[in-house]
Amino acid sequence: MRDSFHKELESLDEDVVRLGTLVEESTRGATTALIECDKELAERVRAGDDAIDALFLDIEKRSLRLMAQQAPVAGDLRLLVAILRVLTDLERSGDLAHSIAKAALAEDFCQPQLKAVRALVADLGRAAAKLMGAAVDAWAAKDEQLAADLALQDDVLDDLQARLLEGLLQLKGEENLGPAIRLAMVGRYLERIGDHAVNLGERLRYYLTGDETLLG
Amino acid sequence: MNNDLVAGEAPVFTAKDLSVYYGSNLALKGVDLEIRPRRITAIIGPSGCGKSTLIRCFNRMNELIPGARVSGEVLYHGENIYGAGVDPVVVRRRIGMVFQRPNPFPKSVYDNVAFGAKINGYKGDMDELVERSLRRAALWDEVKTKLKKSALDLSGGQQQRLCIARAIAVEPDVILMDEPASALDPIATARIEDLMQELKKDYSIVIVTHNMQQAARVSDETAFLYTEVDETTAARWGILVEFGQTGEIFTKPRDKRTEDYVSGRFG
Repeated sequence: MRDSFHKELESLDEDVVRLGTLVEESTRGATTALIECDKELAERVRAGDDAIDALFLDIEKRSLRLMAQQAPVAGDLRLLVAILRVLTDLERSGDLAHSIAKAALAEDFCQPQLKAVRALVADLGRAAAKLMGAAVDAWAAKDEQLAADLALQDDVLDDLQARLLEGLLQLKGEENLGPAIRLAMVGRYLERIGDHAVNLGERLRYYLTGDETLLG
Repeated sequence: MNNDLVAGEAPVFTAKDLSVYYGSNLALKGVDLEIRPRRITAIIGPSGCGKSTLIRCFNRMNELIPGARVSGEVLYHGENIYGAGVDPVVVRRRIGMVFQRPNPFPKSVYDNVAFGAKINGYKGDMDELVERSLRRAALWDEVKTKLKKSALDLSGGQQQRLCIARAIAVEPDVILMDEPASALDPIATARIEDLMQELKKDYSIVIVTHNMQQAARVSDETAFLYTEVDETTAARWGILVEFGQTGEIFTKPRDKRTEDYVSGRFG
């Protein structure tokens, strides 16, 4: 009974993992491009956002169709609601990675006086990508404990972002103003990607437990 | 059971360890359940799980089947309707029933509605009672010019609402509905569902339905029945698996069997 419905639901679930993996790679790539001043890589990440958007729209369209045609209930309904909610988190994270890639294209951050803050951005980028990767792993495994642990890992990002801002405030000279503002924004983007990864975990826990407060 | 009564609100029915046998065959086993006043309670479950058997316990309709036997208790406002000295006819007067196929008498629309009241020796204004009952059943506007016409000339959906009007006319307390819309088209079904929402202001309604979406749409509380099988004898009987608020049953059921049934993984 309802075999084709459940197969399509499984396929959507797998596509969420694919989308999350693309976002994780994009975050990693955009940060590397920025700290290594690799314009070619930045361009590839920027172009890759089209694939993220296309997959996002495809999953959203198919989810709405299942809602309309199959009237899902119970766990199936919770999974579809969770999918629709994490889609937004993933799509926004993709946009943030895209913005980091654009910053990497717009400015040269490889000047020697930026070495210290560059290292902090590198740490922040690695932590954000790692957190998104952990969220995607939790989703793929439907692991409630892994999902709950994401919020703890997010503290590392908040700390790194605060240190980055401190480092930027210590930069002297007018020539550093532009890069400092851009790097402050990049720091904020990476911290937001971490928040979206935590949201992914909460939507997953809603699916697994039915606790509606986790949708908030 | 997540069925806590609102303070001061006594249940209409309380089933206690209710079992039903047809001959020596167990059909329904050990049901404990409370039906609340002025709510719609849906009974769902796969074919043969005892849904109709259960609803028929609430007005002693099972006794009309030869060999049927009930054990346990069904308390109606605290009184066991299976107690010695309880007249099943009196029980059925307070607890009306609507069946799967509309079953109007081969009489006029008016006489169908007036029938029960006449038998009960109703002394009031019969025209007023017929109009009021038809209005409550959301049928008056469609039949007011053909009250003397045969009820059998009405459409299936109109006939079913006429049967509801007939049940209402004897001023019951509870209306039992055994698949009331399964023989109707979607528009007639929607009318019955809208009507149920109106009726629950005054009556307690228990509905058996095969249509899970209907249960989700109309009911406040849902009871899920499932079939247990004895592997050695292949005997089968129904049990109550889960009872709770409909919103909960259809978003986060507690029992895996409920989850699998409502999401179509078996049944």
